[in-house]
Amino acid sequence: MIERLLEAARARGGADALWRREERTSVAFESGRLKTTGIIEEAGLNLRLVAGGRVGVAGTTAAAPDIDELVARAAASADLGENLDLTFPPTSPLPHVPTFFHRAADASLDRLIAIGKGLVERLARDGCQVNVAIEREVGETAVGNSAGARGGYRSTGVAVTADVVRIASDDVLMIYDQYVGGDLPTDADLDALVRSIEMRLEPALTIVTPPDGALPVVFTPAGLAAIVLPLEQALSGKTVLQGSSPLAARVGEQVFDTRLSISDDPLAPQGPASRPIDDECVASTATRLVEGGIVRAFVYDLETATRAKTRTTGNGRRGIFGKPGIRYTNLIVGTPRPTSYPPGLGGGLIADIQDGLVVDDLIGVGQGNVTAGGFSHPVGLAYRVQGGEITGRVKDAAVAGNVYELLKHIGGFGSDGRWLGSRWSPSLRLEGVSVARR
Amino acid sequence: MKDRLAAALKASRADYTEIRLERTWSSAVTFRGRRLETATVSEDQGGFVRCLDRGCGWGIASFTSLDALPQMVARAHELSRAVRLERPIRLAETTAQEADVALDLDGDVRGVPLAEKKKLIEAYNGAMLAVSGAIVDTQAIYRDEVSEVWYVNSEGTALAQVRPEVTVSGTAIARRDGTIEKGLESIGLRRGWNSVHGFEERFRVVAQRAADLLDAPRVQGGAYPVILDNELAGVFIHEAFGHLSEADFVYENPQAREMMTLGRRFGKPVLNVGDNGAASGLRGTLPFDDEGTPTQDTVLIRDGILVGRLHSRETAAAMSERPTGNARAMSFRHPPIVRMTNTYIAPGQGGATLQDLIKDVKLGVYACGAFGGQTMLENFSFTAAWGHMIRDGQIAELVKDVVLAGNLFQTLDRIDHIAGDFTWNQMGGGCGKAGQFPLPVTEGAPHVRIEEILVGGDV
Repeated sequence: MIERLLEAARARGGADALWRREERTSVAFESGRLKTTGIIEEAGLNLRLVAGGRVGVAGTTAAAPDIDELVARAAASADLGENLDLTFPPTSPLPHVPTFFHRAADASLDRLIAIGKGLVERLARDGCQVNVAIEREVGETAVGNSAGARGGYRSTGVAVTADVVRIASDDVLMIYDQYVGGDLPTDADLDALVRSIEMRLEPALTIVTPPDGALPVVFTPAGLAAIVLPLEQALSGKTVLQGSSPLAARVGEQVFDTRLSISDDPLAPQGPASRPIDDECVASTATRLVEGGIVRAFVYDLETATRAKTRTTGNGRRGIFGKPGIRYTNLIVGTPRPTSYPPGLGGGLIADIQDGLVVDDLIGVGQGNVTAGGFSHPVGLAYRVQGGEITGRVKDAAVAGNVYELLKHIGGFGSDGRWLGSRWSPSLRLEGVSVARR
Repeated sequence: MKDRLAAALKASRADYTEIRLERTWSSAVTFRGRRLETATVSEDQGGFVRCLDRGCGWGIASFTSLDALPQMVARAHELSRAVRLERPIRLAETTAQEADVALDLDGDVRGVPLAEKKKLIEAYNGAMLAVSGAIVDTQAIYRDEVSEVWYVNSEGTALAQVRPEVTVSGTAIARRDGTIEKGLESIGLRRGWNSVHGFEERFRVVAQRAADLLDAPRVQGGAYPVILDNELAGVFIHEAFGHLSEADFVYENPQAREMMTLGRRFGKPVLNVGDNGAASGLRGTLPFDDEGTPTQDTVLIRDGILVGRLHSRETAAAMSERPTGNARAMSFRHPPIVRMTNTYIAPGQGGATLQDLIKDVKLGVYACGAFGGQTMLENFSFTAAWGHMIRDGQIAELVKDVVLAGNLFQTLDRIDHIAGDFTWNQMGGGCGKAGQFPLPVTEGAPHVRIEEILVGGDV
């Protein structure tokens, strides 16, 4: 398909293309009962054309695509497009990274149902409702361009999500966790998921008054979302190019605590987003974004890199209909090291906190002034720490601060590093976070 | 298309079968800063089948290859039979519907050259960029679509619907050294090309506000009386209450059912809330939902008391209530689930004005516009685009980072004054639930006063 498409596009100019097919199988348990099983099959073709120095894109999900119509549509898009001296990368050897696992691809519907049933049984308890969903994806990706580069890979992905909802009169408590990986979860992965929910459920049953003031706060790997989001924006080459990244002019500067490192690693073993090649035919390689608190690099796709007069980092990602854009692969925050077992809530960072919080979930992440690094969110799930111990769950409190200020001095990195989706991080302790209560 | 659907339906051996096919034509033009990002025309198509055998679970299949329809019906049936349930799934009775409905296309977007659309959004983008040198970055997006949707089920419902949609939206980023602020504008309608002209001033205003916010202080955290403007009050009711009124949250959960018992008081007598999928020309408007149930105006809270909730056929049957036409799917890639349509706070009876709401507030916050909202059931957050302090009954200085932290049981009950100045917010964007985002919805409200609510921020 890619060959035919590139051939048809050749008369108009340079081109690159992506073909992707995905089949997902899902099982969903609602309030402990298996209720829905389903499949999704989807295939599509995306073409980018450089005609007369202008870039256009077009895509289709038609089963038997009309190649000439697709090329004509991309050409019409290019007619309106901006000039861009886009050079497609030549062919290069691809690194080896496992993306396809037979155990996942071959797992029967019954096997997926059995995993779900096991989780529902282990999470069941009086007064709680358990929801579990399992989705297995088998995919195939092929990319190519008019400079002769070709690439492709098969992939599998498994996502297991579980939540426990407890309603006691007017108190609604929801505790959620997930396993996301290329292969089926092992027994140890499922144990970890159950323990992670239990570890947060037990202390949540006691409700305590929230503190207020500028306090030490431990952000769990899940709670870190609000802290990492501004950095993801600022380290994107797109934001840098547009002039809105606070880190744009600060490469080589000590911006953060000397212990902070952040990298994008498409080759991370067990990384849910690992793959050998990006969607623009660029061989995968890791990019060190922040090292020892010093800003080192930004992530780029082909177009943004061309405009910024730099090299793509192989972070091009494209859907079926749009043009490629920048996407992180596996984002590694902190330095991976062996996880303590069993990991405790707070990652071993609370022993000397006299009064503070452990924050596991915030509400409304992404809806504030993210670019500037400011955050202000009500807590979704948070615990009070008093005298080095977790004393219970707090409600009706809000935390606020500025990521760039808070990350200048990090109070500690937890021993509980883990994957959460395609982000790996431990808990992080930050000092002087504003906590407001009603 | 209808014949293919009828044949596939006839061949199904399941007790209940429904099939939805969609063909969506869309175009989009995006500017980032002074540069055009993309101008594209796309066609997407696919199908969705759902089967239910008595005593079994739902079996669903979604696919882009329409030729595979007969096999997909067989697979969905097979998947249904793979699950045995002791307590069977029941569907509430509905009348079979047959209709061919084309909503008003209001200037069919398929007939307008892409270059015209580019010109329009370039003008809106230019209006933001022209505000001042402080505007360092913008994003401006024009997007339209016309979706043809065919729906049939084995109970005799056969519908063909044409659903148009058009959105223009913009983000302006203002920056001075390390201080960065943004302004958002978004206009979304279930209409066409004729409805999106003449908005230059609105785009200019949000960019100017982003620049003004550079000099505004952050609001100080704490509990305040807060007056919400129409837009934020709409987002508030969607997050604070709308999601809890979706019956799929309560129907399988005895404790949740108890918590959301009809007849329970949630607010003062001034509070009236509803969801109206049949309102004219709004983004959440549809003649039929994605189970073929006609949409309607459903009252959720009357005079402060819970009187209704939003249903699919399954949740209605489980709770012995009536379907409300709220089973919606974002596309053929998803099953229908219980969703809001156009959710509103009804205007207050006395015809009060903003001035009436503010005049006896000594120290408070006037929270305006919306950057977004999110609910975690009991607790929710909604973020104003900007705010003003209220001092001694007067609107005072501009403040920023106004994020409100609400609690279902306390915040609704603290609404003590509702103005008469109702408007629908015709915003783009949409609502997210169970991986289906963004589903087009609209909210509407007048100015609303909350006696006391937690505002996040430095303390």
